[in-house]
Amino acid sequence: MIFLNNLFAIFRKEFDSYLFSPFFYIIASFFWLVSGFFFWFILSDNIQKVAQLEQQGISVSLDLASEFLNDYFEVIISLLLVLLPALSMGLYTEERKRGTLELLATSPITNWLVALGKLLGVVAVFLVLWSPIIFYQIIAFSASQPPLQPSVVLLANGGLILLSTAILSLGMFISSLTEHSLLAYVLTFILVVFFWSLDLVSNNVGGVFSEILSYLSLFKSYSPFLRGVLQTETICLFLSYIILGIFLTTQSIEAFKK
Amino acid sequence: MIEVEHLNKIYGTTVAISDVHFSVEEGEILGFLGPNGAGKTTTMRILAGYIPATSGTARIAGYDVHQESMQVRRHIGYLPENPPLYVNMTVEAYLHFVANIKGVAAGERKVAVGNALKRCQLLDKGQVIIRKLSKGYRQRVGLAQAIVHSPPVIILDEPTVGLDPKQIIEVRHLIKSLAGEHTIILSSHILPEVSMTCDRVTIINQGSVVTTDKPENLMSQLTPTTIYKLEVEGEIFSVRSVLQGLDGVAKVEITPRESSNSRFIVHVTASDNRHNLAKDLARIVVTSGLDLYEMIQTTPTLEEVFLKLTTQEFIREE
Repeated sequence: MIFLNNLFAIFRKEFDSYLFSPFFYIIASFFWLVSGFFFWFILSDNIQKVAQLEQQGISVSLDLASEFLNDYFEVIISLLLVLLPALSMGLYTEERKRGTLELLATSPITNWLVALGKLLGVVAVFLVLWSPIIFYQIIAFSASQPPLQPSVVLLANGGLILLSTAILSLGMFISSLTEHSLLAYVLTFILVVFFWSLDLVSNNVGGVFSEILSYLSLFKSYSPFLRGVLQTETICLFLSYIILGIFLTTQSIEAFKK
Repeated sequence: MIEVEHLNKIYGTTVAISDVHFSVEEGEILGFLGPNGAGKTTTMRILAGYIPATSGTARIAGYDVHQESMQVRRHIGYLPENPPLYVNMTVEAYLHFVANIKGVAAGERKVAVGNALKRCQLLDKGQVIIRKLSKGYRQRVGLAQAIVHSPPVIILDEPTVGLDPKQIIEVRHLIKSLAGEHTIILSSHILPEVSMTCDRVTIINQGSVVTTDKPENLMSQLTPTTIYKLEVEGEIFSVRSVLQGLDGVAKVEITPRESSNSRFIVHVTASDNRHNLAKDLARIVVTSGLDLYEMIQTTPTLEEVFLKLTTQEFIREE
């Protein structure tokens, strides 16, 4: 009970600290503007293409809705490469800079609880950013003929949230290494791009190594979600990254205190 | 309530503190006095469980600070050198947050925060964002977070640093009012401050405890004695024993004067301030056939004695 209470306190502090910072609103307006624009652009582009083909008398056996979902989420993922490191960069750098880590570390709460609370806080902030896109999807997909199965939309969104949580968790670890937010941003960005490029690397090397690399790749593992395929091992992979991020954070804080 | 034994902390090859030992009784205020870099903050951080000691033990309320860290954390309030504030929060929201993570039950938090605000005279600042507060007020918020959960032990690292004289007096009163129901350990590099606030004072220098005593004993131990500085020419060493034998003389030091072979500077330290030695010293020098060029009588201030105590020149006379 006291555990949940403390966890909620950390979560709430983290969540509020974003909502009270002008920085968040800059990020949010940028994200909403760009993601909204692409939603409109890709959707109308796809519809026009199909309409053109139909005008030419070619019958289209294309599932427009799932086609759009694929295209749109690909754009969104590259947007997240830039956005997620910005969300995670301040998680521990600020605590270190302001000396508030000394307060947390001398309170009767564990490092694990602090890290978990912080991660939940920043994920909640991400969900706030993500919520308009869920809203757009509900409107667009409810109007589509044939209707897109809700399970596909649910998996695409759920998977993306898990993927983002994994990146935020690793970003949290990086922010615990330094007191410079900008450095944390750059390092996290490099890490995310590295994960993103694992696909390319794995395509160019052969054998078992390639398989291992492509298994570790966050983004490649995510693609089945877009096709509505639920893979337990992918969920396990995401959860492993999330736990790894939290674990490394606690270790780095423990080491920093010495 | 606090027992510290043979505490060592080594960073790489630098010894931050070595064999630090002291104890604090329940309800007592212990002052931790030393120049900057003496190891005060290191000791406080070990006590608060923020950093581990390299060796030695420290126990708070019977719990080992390293082995039973969580128990210790429940029993302490800690104000680090820089108050750990979330500057974007209001004072009240911040104290609520601290009360929560310190384990104050939800139903009692409002009262606990109210009490802390009242004690630290922050009642009118509850809704102010911490970023907008002056340094003095921030320090008070720092103090409020250390006492909000009424811990039995309060650890304050330089609680008055950076405050103006009026604020210093207020903080001092606040700390005094906390004694009795709380056991307090506070650090400072200002001698009069600890002697005014504390029941006992531990002086630490270069990582080691120099002495622990009640302020009044420390004061009498430190009461400055007069030093006479004489500049003479001639065979001074033959007169040394005569000067040394004079009633009321504690120490005679002779150093050759720079850029002169025959002139010497003589420092005579009085053993107490009952006698005025000036006329005796002058008489001995002159009747011994030496030339006296100058005599200056100086009384070091308390601060200078403390400085001397915490620099290596000082040899304690037990």
